[in-house]
Amino acid sequence: MSAFRLSHGGLVDRSRGIGFRFDGDDLRGYEGDTLASALLASDRLLVGRSFKYHRPRGIVTAGSAEPNALLTIGTGARSEANTRATVQELYDGLVAKSQNRWPSLKHDFGAINGLLSPFLGAGFYYKTFMWPAAFWEKVYEPMIRRAAGLGRAVMEADPDRYEKAWAHCDLLVIGAGPAGLMAALTAARAGARVILADEGFRLGGSLLSERVSIGNAAAADFVRDVLQELASLDTVTLMPRTTVFGWYDDNVFGAVEKVQKHLASPSPDLPVERLWRIAAKAAILASGAEERPLVFGGNDRPGVMMASAARTYLNRFGVGAGRKVAVFTNGGSGYQAARDLASQGAEIAAIIDGRASAGEAMPAGTRMIVNAGVTKTLGRHRIEGLVVERSGHEETIDCDALLMSGGWSPVIHLACQRGAKPVWSEELQAFVAPDVGPRLWLAGSAAGLSGIGDCLRDGSAKALDCLAALGKPGSAPEMPEVEGEYDAGFAPLWYVPGARDKAFVDFQNDVHVRDLSLAQREGFGHIEHTKRYTTLGMATDQGKLGNVNTVGIVAGMRGVSPAEIGTTTFRPFYTPVSFGAMAGTARAERARPTRTSPLHGWAKKNGAQFVDAGLWFRSAWFPQSGEKGWRQSVDREVLAVRANVGLCDVSTLGKIEVFGRDAAEFLNRVYSNAMLKLPVGRARYGLMLREDGMVYDDGTVSRFAEDHFLITTTTAYATEAMAHLEFCAQALWPNLDVRFVSVSDQWAQMSLVGPKARLVLEKIVEDDVSNAAFPFLAARAVTLKGGLKARLFRISFSGELAYELAVPANYGEAVADVLMEAGRPHDICPYGVEALNVMRIEKGHVTHAEIDGRTTPDDLGLGKMFAASKPDFIGKRLSSRFGLTAADRLQLVGLRPVDKAKELTAGAHLLKEGAKPSMANDQGHVTSVCFSPVLGRSIGLALLKSGRERYGEKIVVWDKLRGHDEIVAEVCSPVFVDPENSKLHQ
Amino acid sequence: MSFMPRHILEERIGDFGRPVHADHLTVLRRPAIASVLAGGPVEALSGMAEVSLRPVGPGQWLAVSQSLPGSLLAESLAAALAGLGAHVVDQSDGFVLMHIAGPNVRRILAKCIAVDLHGDVFAIGQAAAMMCCHVAANVARVGADAFEIAVPRSYADDVFEEIVEMGREFSLTSAFDDA
Amino acid sequence: MASLIPCPHCGLRPKEEFSIRGDASPVRPAPTASDESWHRYVHIRDNPKGRIVEHWHHALGCRRWLVVERDNLSHEVFGVTDAADWAKRKEA
Repeated sequence: MSAFRLSHGGLVDRSRGIGFRFDGDDLRGYEGDTLASALLASDRLLVGRSFKYHRPRGIVTAGSAEPNALLTIGTGARSEANTRATVQELYDGLVAKSQNRWPSLKHDFGAINGLLSPFLGAGFYYKTFMWPAAFWEKVYEPMIRRAAGLGRAVMEADPDRYEKAWAHCDLLVIGAGPAGLMAALTAARAGARVILADEGFRLGGSLLSERVSIGNAAAADFVRDVLQELASLDTVTLMPRTTVFGWYDDNVFGAVEKVQKHLASPSPDLPVERLWRIAAKAAILASGAEERPLVFGGNDRPGVMMASAARTYLNRFGVGAGRKVAVFTNGGSGYQAARDLASQGAEIAAIIDGRASAGEAMPAGTRMIVNAGVTKTLGRHRIEGLVVERSGHEETIDCDALLMSGGWSPVIHLACQRGAKPVWSEELQAFVAPDVGPRLWLAGSAAGLSGIGDCLRDGSAKALDCLAALGKPGSAPEMPEVEGEYDAGFAPLWYVPGARDKAFVDFQNDVHVRDLSLAQREGFGHIEHTKRYTTLGMATDQGKLGNVNTVGIVAGMRGVSPAEIGTTTFRPFYTPVSFGAMAGTARAERARPTRTSPLHGWAKKNGAQFVDAGLWFRSAWFPQSGEKGWRQSVDREVLAVRANVGLCDVSTLGKIEVFGRDAAEFLNRVYSNAMLKLPVGRARYGLMLREDGMVYDDGTVSRFAEDHFLITTTTAYATEAMAHLEFCAQALWPNLDVRFVSVSDQWAQMSLVGPKARLVLEKIVEDDVSNAAFPFLAARAVTLKGGLKARLFRISFSGELAYELAVPANYGEAVADVLMEAGRPHDICPYGVEALNVMRIEKGHVTHAEIDGRTTPDDLGLGKMFAASKPDFIGKRLSSRFGLTAADRLQLVGLRPVDKAKELTAGAHLLKEGAKPSMANDQGHVTSVCFSPVLGRSIGLALLKSGRERYGEKIVVWDKLRGHDEIVAEVCSPVFVDPENSKLHQ
Repeated sequence: MSFMPRHILEERIGDFGRPVHADHLTVLRRPAIASVLAGGPVEALSGMAEVSLRPVGPGQWLAVSQSLPGSLLAESLAAALAGLGAHVVDQSDGFVLMHIAGPNVRRILAKCIAVDLHGDVFAIGQAAAMMCCHVAANVARVGADAFEIAVPRSYADDVFEEIVEMGREFSLTSAFDDA
Repeated sequence: MASLIPCPHCGLRPKEEFSIRGDASPVRPAPTASDESWHRYVHIRDNPKGRIVEHWHHALGCRRWLVVERDNLSHEVFGVTDAADWAKRKEA
């Protein structure tokens, strides 16, 4: 036994025991423990195996920088790999497993890598697994991945909920230690909206680990009083368990709140994690400082721990790191740890100080060895002793714990995430944040201060600065007296010479000092290159412990100041954030919003099969019993519509009302065909171009009054077309009087199509819809029997007699039901977008399969819709440029296989008969195909070089990349059905 | 011939006798809503009782009335604005109007809306177009702890579901106003 | 992950409410302008570093096109103008 639980003291509740499981063993801890403190209290020093060499590893820190104690927490779908035991709150029933070991933590086969380590230095994989190239993917990479690594992701879906939320405040305080608490208190008392966020489950930061008294009270009581006051104010939001991980533009901070990660069975009504975006007018970064490890031989042995961590375990959790404790330090922190531990009865084996002398107070009778360094640690799965070297003389000292302190680095990550480079401070022997502007201030030890009293004062002072910038007057609270502080000063000691074992710089990625020198020798001297060559700082801890030491060591190797080396780049996230939190509720079918058509219910009860169309579900076809497959249903629907009448939901089309004195002039400029003289009460097919002359979208334009139009767009371009019109009106022609409003959602719109459409329509429309009164392309408001106001358009996409009837959306289903009823004597048939598509191909109408961004009106056979006589419209000017008028442009044609039994495929290429398939011989491609039930054969639309001159030519349809045999097809007009348009006008 | 309107959320919350908790979402079954487009200010409408005029953007408003029938609202607005170069479009079927109120309403909406809804910033009587659950919505503050959200009908099912989901932690209930 | 744009009509709004079209400096030439100026207007864009003007559409807000003047390196926003006002001012 070495590490142990004290009988009293600390902030754990000994009356509330908690049972948990680690690698199959049942262990116990207390409420208020982290998993790490509970493991340590159970004397479980060995908690993991290292990434590359599989060396035994133990707990090093008591916070979020932990590189070693990464465990898999939870079981089944809830198991989460690489969780830092040092921040995992203990809960009843917690199940933890160690990682990267096989078959067990104590007997790990991979430890053989430690013996092979002379070959496994930095760049080993790059150099070794070079050839044969094919081996990389199949042999080397899987092998390396199996041997090296962390925990495994589960393959089951995450059963828990996640949320995202926004928060707004005057002042965000990041970190609830002395500086943060005082900053929050100062700002809150001034009436500011304050958010105080801290990654810990208990607010108080480093104060929870201190034995000082503040204002004659224990530090923890001082914390409690401040928090009580803050909690009583409704302008203050306290956010424990919330890591602010990123600083983004405009002072928005990203944070993740662990709402239920400390519960065995989370409530289904709450998320397990919540991702916050906090928009703060100002922010104070009071993230404290990180203690640096010392880099000496065997510094990774379980039982070697940061001095400050040992103090946290002792003072906050009532856990002694060992009974016979050695300390290796270069500053005051090590002595304070020795004093604290000695006061709780631990024996101090020795204090080894790298400095020549130290004026520190020591526990009585403690042996001090100055000007000395540890070169090796003894023991296997836990430390049993160390070898100290002084002036060439070596000595072995027995111990069951070794506490190290290499000085302090302010935690400045957030301040440097938006491009600011950390600045080296000779005075502090650390990197500090530069001035990052008036909206983020650093306070306390994050700003380089060390004493608790100084941090309290600084927090308050920085809050006053923020308040002044926000124009809110404030005053500093009375500063309490702090007693029992120690001097945390230190002298830099980057690397302890004479190491007789690996001296690790980056524990998590197993990077040791020799890797750094190799990187220098091999030309990867720039710190960003060193990082990537050695993988230093690239583990999940992002080098929180090791990076500054690295800079110091590299500077030493190069004989320059760390200022010249600089740091690698700081980026979000400060600590790992789960994908679940990033996704929030946007998972699976909720990954994007869905839109529901007003006729969805009608389609559903008529048995529709639906298809995703953008955000919509559109009815695709309506199978009837006995039909085998969609083609049979679609064929029936097409024949029924062309013989009798059919009803189809077209509500998803974009519908835009256009108003204004200049509405006609405006439309004349955005459509390529003429719009000025469109008569009131009439509709017209319209073509919009892009400014480069290509077709953008098509639709209809209906005029309801001189200054009032309704235009429709395709479903796919509804949103973009609206934005395009707004751009033209606002940015291009702001002097035109024209206004828009989308009414896409106001109207349910249905196509009533077929020779008997009028017979059905007459039964429900009050107005005269005879051919004379309501001819082809008529468009106007009508009244349905019973008084419902509607709009009727006589337009056709199928070539049949056809109407589009629009009714207010809430009435859509009722009107469609009545139409079905009225159409029953005429065998009315509901049809979906598949049948719609077949009929438009039969009729040679284009969709975005043909309007593919590379086709001009003339290419599509719509040259008549290019009104060259208009002075200007979008796309006109560049339509005349070279290339758009070339003779061999691809033109829309029809195709029909010579062998009637063959089926065309969309996307197939066209070749002259006998020509080899090559880019040079490419004659065009097939854009749309269908089986035409009217013609009883497969037909297609295609874009073919000079196509309109080639009707009658036989051409090879080539689609071998997808495994289809060549087909010979005849080029023909794209209009397969009713080329005289006789049916439209019936 | 008479046609029965059907609310898009009918299937989802059609049943009667649903509980009403402190935090509650009411779906208004037949509010009158109209888009108003005008070149300048619409003082002519300030005298219209029972109509709440909610800004969308420059020269555009959403007029909402819970007492006038849909088409009547548009007609009376058009009459009031006649000759002023303004245009009115009935949108009573184009939007779904939800009223959400309760002690936790801001905490629920913080998960749906990015805009700061603090009373000092977004006061009672204020309204604006903003994103709500990824969708373009018009949000109005109608009380200290009460908001009205108008969303395009086709998105309403999705937005409703998301708001209810975000309200789970506060046991948010929902029902039609006439339930 | 986030940034806030001060819409002149709606106030501070998250960037998710906007869609960005691109450089706002090219001016649509007259129909009679040269081939070269049309070619430049449609196809050629500078790729400046630093202070730029861009067309942003407040699609989920007031539905106005805006001209956002900002630094594409620091992401600092200097000013946001309604595109109609901007176009009229440019014309004048």
